[in-house]
Amino acid sequence: MTRRAPFAAVLGAVLIALFVGCSAVSQTPSVPPKHPEELPAGRVDCLECHKDVSSGALKPYATVRHSRVFIDAHGTYARQGQNLCASCHAPSFCQTCHTRKDEMKPNVKMGDRPDRRAPHRGDYLVTHRIDGRLDPGSCFRCHGNKVDARCRECHK
Amino acid sequence: MTVAPSGKRLIPSIVAISLLLPLLLAGTARSADLSASSSTYLRYYQRDLGGTKYTYAPLYEYLSADAANLGGAPVALHFYGWGRVDLSDPSGSGKESGGLGSAYLEYLHPKGNAQMKLGRFFLTEGVAVETLDGAFFKVTTPVGIGISGYGGVPVEQSTLDNATTAGNSLYGGRLFFNRSGVTEIGVSYLKEKGPFQGKDRELYGGDLWLRIAPPVEVTAQATYNQSTKGMASQRYALRVTPGSRFDISAGYEAYSYKDLFQTAVHPAFISSSLFDNTDKVRTIFGVLDWEVVSGLTLELAAKSIRHDNVMTGNANRGEAGVRYVFNDKKDVFGLSAAAVTADQEKNEYQEFRGFVTWSPAKFHFSLDALTQKYKKEIDGRKNAHQLVASAGYKVRPYLSVSGDMTYTQSPTFQQDYAGLFRATLELGTATGGKK
Repeated sequence: MTRRAPFAAVLGAVLIALFVGCSAVSQTPSVPPKHPEELPAGRVDCLECHKDVSSGALKPYATVRHSRVFIDAHGTYARQGQNLCASCHAPSFCQTCHTRKDEMKPNVKMGDRPDRRAPHRGDYLVTHRIDGRLDPGSCFRCHGNKVDARCRECHK
Repeated sequence: MTVAPSGKRLIPSIVAISLLLPLLLAGTARSADLSASSSTYLRYYQRDLGGTKYTYAPLYEYLSADAANLGGAPVALHFYGWGRVDLSDPSGSGKESGGLGSAYLEYLHPKGNAQMKLGRFFLTEGVAVETLDGAFFKVTTPVGIGISGYGGVPVEQSTLDNATTAGNSLYGGRLFFNRSGVTEIGVSYLKEKGPFQGKDRELYGGDLWLRIAPPVEVTAQATYNQSTKGMASQRYALRVTPGSRFDISAGYEAYSYKDLFQTAVHPAFISSSLFDNTDKVRTIFGVLDWEVVSGLTLELAAKSIRHDNVMTGNANRGEAGVRYVFNDKKDVFGLSAAAVTADQEKNEYQEFRGFVTWSPAKFHFSLDALTQKYKKEIDGRKNAHQLVASAGYKVRPYLSVSGDMTYTQSPTFQQDYAGLFRATLELGTATGGKK
């Protein structure tokens, strides 16, 4: 077997998969890229209009109801797909918090929205010493390999 | 090492796109759904550093733009970026900075949520929670088996110039099965080539969502670090949602410092002076969200954090709060209290918070007060207070202006006043809603 053979095999498999895949895509309607109705101000409750299971995302609307439980665990659901999220939230919504080197804390950007669960309220330079000692894994998810420039001022 | 382009190069790009956007809107409005959002912030604050007083006035521009249904096809273009220019003393490294958050082309197939992305995007897929310069695809077959894959250059930034740096390339994928309303189960793989403490980043992951009965579901996710040959993190939760007003969840979470932090480019996570690399954390948690009467929600949360390392010590956090929604759901009043008890006094504190928003006609006001009490003095103080007051006005349906004043008293600040002016512009040609 030549050195190029594995590459050709992989390429061939991908092409076959694409050819088969295109004719074998699930016929379940996708989640629309944009919510068809205007969304009201404040936290929206999908269950006011939607019942049962979301087409496309294939999860019940009760699962994605924006309760404190869901917001705390939203990453778990997002890891299985973002399409339902993206129907109501523009990509920039996620990146208000999930950013790489932003200099403004989310709660500073959203100082006019104290109802939002923006992290790091108050003088978090102080509190992060405690939270970081007790549960550094919660810091790592955002700051482990997407470091913002502010960290550099102390963590050199 | 992969770093973002410098702010000096990004700012002209962001400005250029801002200027070109109206032209794009005019030229393609008939076929495409276009929306653009600009948020401009001017902050003002002073700092006394080593006896020298500095005045900071950074001007930030955050721009996002989305163009969907391009050419009548299910293709969209997304952009998000920001830039800073200092009007006074440099507030960061240099007087200018910026970042490109995302800029990508997206294809959304009308069936089965099949999709493709090309460019810079934020991705959450199995073990991957990445910003990536590359490509992503996902497809589901009629029997519910699906596959996704991605590859490219990770957009990361190290805080160190000559130690642990970001990776060079990243690829991975996820194989999954879903059955409508019942389950989704997936296995995933990620490999990032880079000098992560002398090894690549190589992760295997599993994820599960299972609806046992209509109101009961189980979620699970676990990540195995192949480079360190150890389980990096696990999270399992049981959630019960009877009706639309009651939501309760309890679960278990665990991670190992050695296996989770091996991939860090942030020096804090690999500093032997800060962390014992052999430590493991096991957490039991519970969260309740209960709308007791229409508009009034009770929130309770608790977690017990257990460390293998007795020097760090264990801790418990309890939290209780209420939220009341009023004024046709436009406004919220909230109160909360939290307490952390710990084996070590230096880890104990209490937190109390109250906030309210009020939006009469075109005005918007808000007040947010936070107090923290530390069991043991931090830099000579045992408490911290912060008050944020905000007032805004909707000048036009698409243009809002507002101003915030923040007062802080804490171990860092004897007395600090900071101001912020905010202008938000929302433009769009399509109907429908996005947040």
